Amino acid sequence: MTALKRLLRPWRGLLLPVLLLGAWELASRQGASQAYAFVPLARIGDGLLELLASGELWLSVAASLQRTCLGLLAGVCGGFAFGALMASSPLAERLLGPLYHALRQVPILGLIPLLALWFGSGEFTKVLIVSLAAFYPMALNAFEGFRNVETRYREVGRLYGLTPLQRFTQVNLPGALPSLSTGLLQALAFAWVSSVGCELFLSTGLGLGNLMMNAETGSRMEVVVIGVLCVGLLGYAMNLLFSRVSQRLLRWRAPRPGDSR
Amino acid sequence: MPVVLTRLSVFASPLALVLAWLLLARFGGFPAQLLVPPQEVYQAFVELLQSGELREHLANSLSRLALGFCAGALGGLLFGIAMALSETVEAYCGPLFHVLRQIPSIALIPMFILFFGVEETFKVVVVAKASFFPVALAASDGVKGIPRRYFEVAEVYRLPLPSLVRDVALPAAAPPIVTGLRIALSRAWMVLVAAELLAADSGLGQMIEMSRQMMRIDIVMVGVVLTGLVGFTLDHGFRLLERRLLRWRDTP
Repeated sequence: MTALKRLLRPWRGLLLPVLLLGAWELASRQGASQAYAFVPLARIGDGLLELLASGELWLSVAASLQRTCLGLLAGVCGGFAFGALMASSPLAERLLGPLYHALRQVPILGLIPLLALWFGSGEFTKVLIVSLAAFYPMALNAFEGFRNVETRYREVGRLYGLTPLQRFTQVNLPGALPSLSTGLLQALAFAWVSSVGCELFLSTGLGLGNLMMNAETGSRMEVVVIGVLCVGLLGYAMNLLFSRVSQRLLRWRAPRPGDSR
Repeated sequence: MPVVLTRLSVFASPLALVLAWLLLARFGGFPAQLLVPPQEVYQAFVELLQSGELREHLANSLSRLALGFCAGALGGLLFGIAMALSETVEAYCGPLFHVLRQIPSIALIPMFILFFGVEETFKVVVVAKASFFPVALAASDGVKGIPRRYFEVAEVYRLPLPSLVRDVALPAAAPPIVTGLRIALSRAWMVLVAAELLAADSGLGQMIEMSRQMMRIDIVMVGVVLTGLVGFTLDHGFRLLERRLLRWRDTP
């Protein structure tokens, strides 16, 4: 008995999900009105196979990912430049900082209707929204990263008579890297969410959000569930990939500068 | 004089933006319907305010936010504390919790619409979901992060349990929890606006979406600015509260 218990111990975390799935399946068999919301698990499997076979899922995922990457690239570059500028010049910080912090307060998804009216509901608007979502966290972290480069490192750089470019690439950039990677990670999360979000609103084009929204209007719960799972899984996978890569790239600075004093 | 100038420089860029907008609207050659001049936006704001429409939308949105946030945050608080205190709860619920945490609230909107319809329930549930997870995570981390030696000292002093909770555990766990509440609130606001944009009969998001369909950019802009203001006020208010609640702490 105890041996069995010990064997089952690591699997305790699975009990609740299995129970929930069982309850879901049970609810789906309580007549047509329930099956409308709680689709039978088998139907979800069938739906997944169907979506995979027709290539619809691949197309949607590819479109969403492409949009996220494009927006992320633009937003991260912009945010990096903006943050670096604000950190390097107190004048720029005083002048641009308040505007930046004021605009940052507007929820990105709230901007969609306005941007859609100005730029149409096509691809450009979507990429613009995604890049805005990536811009804000990246700018903030770049600013903080460059701002908090330790003074003694800067002094050493000055002592060696480095040119401004050398100072940037050899002192400031390495010093700001941890913060930059945090910014990138946050930007990625925001970009992904807003990419799906703007697809939900702007019904033209392809994407996971469009897939889910079309399924919602057609009351096809199984497709919606598959969409939700895809969004969660892909977001998680990208986050994991990025944090692994940045950990690996930053492994040379395992001890934080503040700790080693 | 320089101090005054420095203070005033805060307003430089927002003012420059408004000025550029004004000039662009007047001389830029854009149709006034698309690039609405600031004064018209202000006019729309005054009209909406006087007709009471704005107050109604705002009240609807905020009451949904309050209801959903209270439910979600309370649930998250209890769940997080339970998960931190009991290994059993953590072992059984932890994995599911961390998996569900990965799903963005926005992506759940279509699913919730199918489950709960487009009525009030759906919006409150979305807000509650958006607030539950950050608060639960913060509460669990906050309680787990209380240094063990605090309890040891309390044991030496034979502190009774109520006093232990009130004087030792609560102050030690409060800072991360308050931060978690603040993050949850701003996320909940964002998700609520999104949900109202997609499906609602009232609320700030619905006002924006309706005006978008009627090409009333002035009202859309009023809505966008107001959304930002509400978000800012909530976040800033919470920050002040945070500072006030935690002022006893030594600054590190």
